[in-house]
Amino acid sequence: MARDLAIDLGTANTLVYMKGRGIVLNEPSVIALNRQTGAVLATAHAAWQMIGRTPGYIVAGRPLRGGAITDFEITERMIRLLLQRVGVSRFTRPKVVICVPSAITEVERRAVTDAARRAGAADANLIEQPMAAAIGADLPIDEPVGNMVIDIGGGTSETAVISLGGIVALEAVRIGSFDIDAAIQNYVRREHGIAIGERTAEEIKKEIGSADPIGDDRQAEVRGRDLMTGLPKTVILTPEEIRFAIEDVVSSIVASVIRCLAKAPPELSQDFLTRGMYLVGGGSLLRGVRERIERETRVPVRQSTAALEAVVLGAGHVIEHYEALKGMFMGARR
Amino acid sequence: MIWFLVGAAIVCAGIVLFVVSRRRAPDGVTSFQRQIDALSPEARRSVVDRVQKLDEGTPEGGDLDGP
Repeated sequence: MARDLAIDLGTANTLVYMKGRGIVLNEPSVIALNRQTGAVLATAHAAWQMIGRTPGYIVAGRPLRGGAITDFEITERMIRLLLQRVGVSRFTRPKVVICVPSAITEVERRAVTDAARRAGAADANLIEQPMAAAIGADLPIDEPVGNMVIDIGGGTSETAVISLGGIVALEAVRIGSFDIDAAIQNYVRREHGIAIGERTAEEIKKEIGSADPIGDDRQAEVRGRDLMTGLPKTVILTPEEIRFAIEDVVSSIVASVIRCLAKAPPELSQDFLTRGMYLVGGGSLLRGVRERIERETRVPVRQSTAALEAVVLGAGHVIEHYEALKGMFMGARR
Repeated sequence: MIWFLVGAAIVCAGIVLFVVSRRRAPDGVTSFQRQIDALSPEARRSVVDRVQKLDEGTPEGGDLDGP
């Protein structure tokens, strides 16, 4: 008998929670394929190492963009491999709860559930990421008080007001950490005339990226290809430059938080001033994000202790109490 | 004897049908209460414990790309 699973199928990372066991898998959502034969050559960390460094016959990429499936067949194969790795076989078909962005369309929703069923799940249900994050971040969502969660992921950023086990107000934008990486790539190309890969951009973001001035004067030495000469070239980047480069993306995320605050009923709005808002998701680890949101909204912001795992832990709780919480699945309330 | 068994089977089937027809789906109040109970801090204790364990074991920094 297979143990039921909760999957946080993210644009950047995939986490799997097994009922009664906890998180059993946490790895990048990347797959490398042979372009000619279609065979899977690598997944997860091994495939991630290949991004931007493959010969012509290999394609290494992420099958999800903005939280939605961009390649149905590859996603199905990735889910099948994931299920196999956690012990699911043809004869043991578990129930699966998958976390997805609340902004995905009906077609995208169906694509995810179909991919999971075809990959070996007996039943596949979806739950909104902010709801799962609120459960996983241990917010008192069973009480009639306003709980606000800001989930900044790889491809989406979602803000939700939750009370009494349901979403009261929601604002989602298809902007996330990968857009920050892309903004850094574009800036370096435009201002310094060198091309850098997405992995290098991600490293720059981790090294000196920030959403608000944090008094850090570290600089980053970046190597790329000169667009004029085609030769390798090194440039020095400062935190101010990176802040300027990612300003549009950060502003869009903050603006979506403000829109969500504006949607909240007044009775719940007052709760935020005392209880604060909770930041989860990998994007929330960007330096200065908490301070920036706090400065622009004048509402206290707290960082979740398990920013990367909150969503899958929340979905894991749902799988542990499947019968009682099945009313929370997307589609069940509509 | 056979007629006794047939009669017993019919009576049993009648009882089963009666029980099934009387059995109601949980009403809105019950299922909502179950859902709220399942979201209570006590019910989430195991998840909270896992969060705390992760917190204790997590090194500084981490992956900036969220799931």
